[in-house]
Amino acid sequence: MTSIGTGYDLSNSVFSPDGRNFQVEYATKAVENGGTAIGLRCKDGVVLAVEKLIQSKLLVPGSNKRIATVDRHVGIACAGLIPDARHFVSRARNEASSWRKGYYGPIPISSLADRMGQYAQTYTLFSSVRPFGVTSIIGGLDEEGGPSLWMVEPSGVTWGYFGAATGRGRQAAKAELEKLDLPNITVEEGVKHAARIILIAHGDNSGKDKDYELEMTWVRMPPNGEAEIAADGTVRGYGRHEEVPKDIVEQAEKDAKKAVEGDDDDEKMAES
Amino acid sequence: MNHLPEAWGRPRDDIYGAYDHQYVSASNPNQHTTSPVVTGTSVVALKYNGGVVIAADNLASYGSLARFTNVERLKQVGSHTVVGASGDVSDMQFLFDEQLEQLIISEEYQNDGHHLRAKHIYSYLSRVMYHRRSKFNPLWNVLLVAGWDDGKPFLASTDLLGTTFSGPALASGFGAHLAIPLLRRVCPDEAAVANITREQAISVIEECMKVLFYRDARSMNKYSMSIISGEGDKVEIEHRKDIQLKQQSWKFAESIRGYGAQVV
Amino acid sequence: MFRNNYDNDSVTFSPQGRIFQVEYALEAIKQGSAAVGLVSNTHAVLIALKRNAEELGSYQKKIIGIDTHLGVALAGLAPDARVLSNFMRQQSMSSRFLYNRPVPVARVVNAIADKAQVNTQHYGRRPYGVGLLVAGVDETGPHLWEFQPSGMVLEYRGAAIGARSQSAKTYLERNYESFGDATREELVLHGLTALRDTLAQDKELTTANVSLAIVGKDEKFKLYDGDEVAEWLEKLGNTQSSRGSRGAAAAPPAPEAAAPAGDSMDVDA
Repeated sequence: MTSIGTGYDLSNSVFSPDGRNFQVEYATKAVENGGTAIGLRCKDGVVLAVEKLIQSKLLVPGSNKRIATVDRHVGIACAGLIPDARHFVSRARNEASSWRKGYYGPIPISSLADRMGQYAQTYTLFSSVRPFGVTSIIGGLDEEGGPSLWMVEPSGVTWGYFGAATGRGRQAAKAELEKLDLPNITVEEGVKHAARIILIAHGDNSGKDKDYELEMTWVRMPPNGEAEIAADGTVRGYGRHEEVPKDIVEQAEKDAKKAVEGDDDDEKMAES
Repeated sequence: MNHLPEAWGRPRDDIYGAYDHQYVSASNPNQHTTSPVVTGTSVVALKYNGGVVIAADNLASYGSLARFTNVERLKQVGSHTVVGASGDVSDMQFLFDEQLEQLIISEEYQNDGHHLRAKHIYSYLSRVMYHRRSKFNPLWNVLLVAGWDDGKPFLASTDLLGTTFSGPALASGFGAHLAIPLLRRVCPDEAAVANITREQAISVIEECMKVLFYRDARSMNKYSMSIISGEGDKVEIEHRKDIQLKQQSWKFAESIRGYGAQVV
Repeated sequence: MFRNNYDNDSVTFSPQGRIFQVEYALEAIKQGSAAVGLVSNTHAVLIALKRNAEELGSYQKKIIGIDTHLGVALAGLAPDARVLSNFMRQQSMSSRFLYNRPVPVARVVNAIADKAQVNTQHYGRRPYGVGLLVAGVDETGPHLWEFQPSGMVLEYRGAAIGARSQSAKTYLERNYESFGDATREELVLHGLTALRDTLAQDKELTTANVSLAIVGKDEKFKLYDGDEVAEWLEKLGNTQSSRGSRGAAAAPPAPEAAAPAGDSMDVDA
C-alpha cells in the first residue's frame, strides 16, 4: 500500500527525488489510525466532536477528554498520537497567553491557527525532531468576525473550513459534511448532525461491536451578535468554549441512531 | 547545540538555565518602582454572617490631582472571590488584567472540576508580592482578598512588602485609620461575625465610605461595592457600581476657618 | 521481535505511522513485576509485587509516596521512576507553596505526560522506560491514572501494569462495578486478589514481596511493607498462585520471558 521511500524516508527534513518528505507522510498515517474528529462551522457558532474509542471498560467515563480549551473562546480537537496532541495544545495555550500580554485581548482564531501551522511546520525542517503525529481542528469565536474553523495537518498545512474531518472515519465524515448547508444551520442543528456523522464514521471503520464515547463541545454566538459579559468581565456561556450539556448530547445520540438505523433496537450501538 | 555568540564558553542551557539576555542588551539601566504615580485610595471590607462586603471608590489620583474618576478598583476573580486594590494603579492593572486574568484562564481551560478559590488566589498574590519585594521591585499596592471558602467568609490582606494578615474587618490606606475603628464597633472580633447581618454590614461600609470622603483628601464621593454571599458550597456575588454617597453633612465645615461664612 | 530500519530513534516514523522506540519502551514495563491500582468513591489503593535479584538481596521498592494525598506504583526502569517522582514532588510542593492547595491529581499527571512526550520527539533522547500508576485524592475525589512512556495518560477505575498483568486486568474488568461502593477493606482485598493472579507458578504473596499503599478522603497516603502487610494477607486467606494448578480456569499462561531473577541488568522490578 505504501511506497517505501528507499532510503529517503529514514530522516525527517529529507526530500525524496520526487520532492516528498516521507516522514511527514508517515506522520499522516499515524493520524489516519486515530479516532475520528470533526468540526462544523455553523452560522452562529462552531461544533467540535470526537469519536473516543473505548479501549477498556476500566476507563473512567467522562474523563480522558480529547477536546481541549485554549484561552476561553477556542477549542482544539485532535486525531492521531494523543501525547503529540497534548504538546500541540500546550503550545497553542502559550501562544494565546502571549497574545494577551502583547495585545490585551483574546487571540483571533485565524492568528492562532496560523501560528500553530507555523509551529507544526518547523518540526518538518530538522532531522533532530519528528513531525507531529496529529491533525488538529481548531474552532472558536472571534470578537469580530464570528465563528471560524481551521485544520492543521502534520505538514503544517492550514486551511479554513466550514466542515472538517480527520482520523480513521474522515472519508465517511467528509461525505456527510458535504451534504450539509453549513453556513446556514444553527449550532443546535450542528450538534445533531455532528452526533450522526460520528456514528456513521464509526460504523464504517471500526465495526459496530467496538464501543465509543462521543465527546462534543461548542462555542456559540449570542443571539443579538454581542457577547454576554459577566460581572467579572468574562464572556459567559455564549462566546466560551464549553462542553455540550450532557442531556443535549444524549438526545443527539438517540436522534442519530434513529436517523441512521431506522429504529434503535437493531444493532447494539455505543452508549455514552 | 546553541552555537550563537551568547552561548560561547557557556555551560549547557538545560543544566544551568537559559541565558539571561539582560547582560548583553545595550538598553538603559533597569529602573525599579520606588514610588507610585497614579494611585487609588482606601479599600474597605467587612465579614458578615453570610459572606463579605467590600468597597472601594472610583478615583485614581495623580498626586493631588483627582485625575481619573471612573476607575474600577474591585475585580471579581473566578466565581468565589473579589480582590480590591489600593496604591499604584498601573501595578493594579498589571495584576488584574494580566496576572489574575491569565491565572483564571489557565485554571478554567483544564476543565477538570477544580477551581481556584479565595484562599488560593490570596496565596498566589501574597507570593507574587513578596517575590517582587525581594527583588527590590515591588508592586506598590495593598490588596484585600474577599471571598467565600470552605463554607465560611474569607477576608485577608497582602501588600507591597509581602506582609500578610487576615481578619473580620480590614481596610487599606486611610481606611486603616478611619474605617477600621468604625468597623470594629460592629465587629470587634471574629466571633462577632456570626451576629452581623448583610444589611448591617452594608450600612457600616456605607458609613465608612462617607467618613472617608469627609476626611481623606484623595477620595471621591462615588464608589463600587461587591457583596459576596455564600451558603455551603454555593456562592453569589453582587456588584453595585456608581454608588453615590447619601446624606452627607458638611455642617462641621462652618466652624473651620477658611470655609463657610467666616467673618473673623 | 521487531527490528527494522525505522526503530533506531524516536524521531523516526515507520511507514505505518508507528514510532518503534516508544513501543519498545513499553516493553520495558512488561519486564517489571506487576503493580495494581484501584479506586472506590472514598479511597485509592496501590498494590505491587516486589522482586529481589537474589535470595539474600533486598526487594526493589515499587511504591513511592509523592505527597500526603498522592503516590505512585512503578513497573519498569526504577531509576526513570525516581526522576519522574522527584519531578512530581516538586510540582506538588510548588502547588502548596504558590496556591496553598494540594496539587490536583490530574494536573501533576498531565505535567509528567508532557515531560515524557518531549522525549519522544527529540533526537538524542530516549523515552522514559517506566510505567506508573498514580493514585491520589483531591477535591474531586479519589483518582487513579496510568502513565505510559509515550506520554499517554488515562484515568481508570482499576489498572494493572508489569509482568503477567493481563491476568490482573481480567479480574479487574470482571469486578470493577463493585469498586465504587466498596469499603476500604473490600477494595484492598480486590487489589490483592488481582495481584495474586499475576504470580508465577508456585509463587505466593508474602510479607516480603507485597507492597501496599492506601490513600483516602480522610486518610493520608501511607505505605505498608513487611509486617504491616501481614494482616491483609491473613484477610485474603489464599496467597498462592493459581497458575498451573487448574486447567482452563487458571490465569492465562504467560509466554513472555518469565521474571529472570538474576540475569536482567538494572531493570527494576
